[in-house]
Amino acid sequence: MSLTEQTIEPEVSSADAVANATLCSVRRGQVVSCPCIHCGQSTDCLASEDAQRVFCCPGCRSAYELIHGWGLDEFYALREQLRPASASAVVAGPDRHVQFDEPAFLGKSAPRVQADGTCSVELAVAGLHCAACAWLIENVSASTPGWLSARVRMSDHSIRLVFDPQRTKLSTIAQLMGRMGYQLSPLDRSRDQHIQRESRRLLVQIAIAGFLAANSMWIAVALYAGEFTGVVFEYRYFLGLMGTVLGTLAVAGPGRTFFHGAFASLRSRTPHMDLPIAIGLFVGTVVGIINAIRGSGHIFFDSLAALVFLLLIGRWIQFRQQQRAARAVDLMLRITPRHATRITDDELTELVLAENLQSGQRIRIAPGECVAVDGVIVAGATTIDRSLLTGESVPVAGNCGDSVSAGTINITAPIDVEVQAVGRESRIGRVMQSVESAAADKTPIVQLADRIGGVFVMVVMSLAALTFVLWLPSGLGEATSHATSLLIVACPCALALATPLAIAVGLGRAAKCNVLVRDGQSLQKLALGGRMWLDKTGTLTEGRQRVSTLLGANYGLQLAASIECKCVHPVASAIVREAELLKLTLISSAVLDQAVSGGVLGTVDGQRVAVGNMDFIQALHIVVDQDWITQIKTLLGCGEAPLLIAVDGVMCTLLGLSDPLRKGARETIAKLVREGWSLGLLSGDHPEIVSRVGQQLGIRAEDCHGGLLPEEKLELVRESRRSGSTVVMVGDGANDAAALAAADVGIAVRGGAEVSLQAAPVFVSSGQLTTIHNLIVGARRTNRVIYAMFAVSLSYNILAVALAMTGLISPLVAALLMPTSSVSVLAIVLAARTFEESNR
Amino acid sequence: MSVVYVALPVALLLGAAGMYACIRCIWDGQYEDLESPAIRILIDDQKARGQPEKQLPK
Repeated sequence: MSLTEQTIEPEVSSADAVANATLCSVRRGQVVSCPCIHCGQSTDCLASEDAQRVFCCPGCRSAYELIHGWGLDEFYALREQLRPASASAVVAGPDRHVQFDEPAFLGKSAPRVQADGTCSVELAVAGLHCAACAWLIENVSASTPGWLSARVRMSDHSIRLVFDPQRTKLSTIAQLMGRMGYQLSPLDRSRDQHIQRESRRLLVQIAIAGFLAANSMWIAVALYAGEFTGVVFEYRYFLGLMGTVLGTLAVAGPGRTFFHGAFASLRSRTPHMDLPIAIGLFVGTVVGIINAIRGSGHIFFDSLAALVFLLLIGRWIQFRQQQRAARAVDLMLRITPRHATRITDDELTELVLAENLQSGQRIRIAPGECVAVDGVIVAGATTIDRSLLTGESVPVAGNCGDSVSAGTINITAPIDVEVQAVGRESRIGRVMQSVESAAADKTPIVQLADRIGGVFVMVVMSLAALTFVLWLPSGLGEATSHATSLLIVACPCALALATPLAIAVGLGRAAKCNVLVRDGQSLQKLALGGRMWLDKTGTLTEGRQRVSTLLGANYGLQLAASIECKCVHPVASAIVREAELLKLTLISSAVLDQAVSGGVLGTVDGQRVAVGNMDFIQALHIVVDQDWITQIKTLLGCGEAPLLIAVDGVMCTLLGLSDPLRKGARETIAKLVREGWSLGLLSGDHPEIVSRVGQQLGIRAEDCHGGLLPEEKLELVRESRRSGSTVVMVGDGANDAAALAAADVGIAVRGGAEVSLQAAPVFVSSGQLTTIHNLIVGARRTNRVIYAMFAVSLSYNILAVALAMTGLISPLVAALLMPTSSVSVLAIVLAARTFEESNR
Repeated sequence: MSVVYVALPVALLLGAAGMYACIRCIWDGQYEDLESPAIRILIDDQKARGQPEKQLPK
């Protein structure tokens, strides 16, 4: 764990800094950022505090205490050891786990009763990060009475539970999992099953091909040895025949898939790597069978079987990449809650599935809850956090008659909402639809290897014909033999392996650096350079308000925090955090009288306390004298939002709130500019704040766009794509989803991995900005490795073709040359330095 | 008659038995999750050390 010392001075230009020298001198001492012991999120604390007891939120504290209480502290050690990734915050919410006891809710994944009376059920788990999570869940299951076993599958984030219905209920287990931060949900298997079958089929084919290749190879060893020692014709004939049977089986069985590919490529007249492979396999098999039966001439069965085996492995690697891309989850379901509290006609409430709601019905939304539908507030007044949808860092007021959107979070007070649109019809649903269409209108780039494949066929075919003609004077048999060996040795095995292998290795190394990349195309595009758009809130800045200036008496802060701890609001939590940092005791007798969008009013020990912005305080007829106003102006100049605290109608304390830049933001931006990227900001936040952040980072003012809706961000990204250069969007996986999907490459730096990978092909799970620079360097190196391998495997082919044309090739040389080329390609990929190891 | 006429088919049959076992494992789903089994070893380790089972705070 690194303790990075960090002063809380706002980032200001030098001129401002001089002007503020007096202001800054009043600020309190050193504050450090410590990682939260549970989730790793950086949290402010005083340097004197124990780093082992730092929590970012009460959720993490309770999760830590739960795990600690079970004596499972080893979880943290194990997690550090396995992958230094950060866990997302624990999803809090009212108890909805009762639903798990209703078969109708679970649908197809309802528990099955087994012969011994226990129930087994398969469910999807959200919130799994690494294998340590699996370790934790399986350990907890072992020590929970009635919960017999749990088997977590990291590959598709599912869990198989066995429990005793007599001793526990599924809802209890779901609740326990919920407390640990893992959300269970019913599983939709239909899509996975198809992928699973395909993956198993490929593996079975590899197994068969491997068996046939290995056996035909040792038969071939016997034959080659026999050539030197003089084997009796009878045995040579027998061994040749057996080998041919194995080779033919390999081509006709597992090798069939290449013929399918070749036919498809012929029909659609698109060049494909399968075509030269199929020609080589076909000619080799036919000539091999004839020669084996005749008992003379070259037979190539061992090369053929090995070829099929190696190529299938390449195919499987490629499939696993695609599978990762295809493992999509319904993004919207993860963002909006699946359940809502409906108000029935007789004013009672019931929990219903959100998708069953109809327009006109009323639902109640508790403070802290996520809104499930689009609608109009019919009762109650509150503030609403729309950052998920619009990126606004400050919540807005929501009063009777205002409309609310699904995916936003109700903050201060319960509200009743009349439903207008649900699911795909809601605003966020439409954004998600545009995500889908944006993802669909990208044409996948044709694999370079496939393009080469087309040329390859023509060249190899004409060379084979040339060889045949040249050798014809020496006899028909000789000419056929040489032309056939040319076709087989020219089979582009290494070439077909090269691209998928290089990409697979690149993606694997990237994952070790906490970057998840969905497909290889993104790596190729990132290597090119072009325009990069960055989101501001949460991407370049911490996305969290922080008290960076404190002027006046600490007492005012203490009173304000005592009141603010009663309400849920980013500003309120910033104040409470600051009070905790300064070790101020919160007064428990504080009463929150009124909370509106501009501020709050409360009573502490008979003193009337008002906390709010300038307008709010002045509306209460509290006098703000000239000194305070000067300081408020200075704060605004620093880019901080002023917050005034008045006690009994007298100004007492002034706080400056800001959303500070994230660690490494400035360095990363500078490095990216040096790499030749043109950078710009896209943000839903106020244009003035955006241009100030841009100024601090050295981004040109005309490239800083503020006050944008998600739709407008999408339009800007589309527009810059029209100019032809590669467009990269860096942002939040959830609220910039549409723009991320529309860009050539979307890089998500925040939000859950599953959700982000749906919209963006790249997800930086460490959330560190410096990783983006590593990614771009790594992408460029990977691209270079691919080209290097093309060169190597093509030179092997040229060498082999030259040998075949001059008639120097024998089955032994062919059998040696082919694996050598594959192995050397493999060695190059594994030895090449592509991604820098994570800097932890 | 040489032994090779017997030995070679027998060797192939033995190999085929291995292949059959491998295919059975594949259809059983052994190769689908390559991450969590690695962690399960660690769970067993802990129990082998003879730590008493802890009761959960209910």
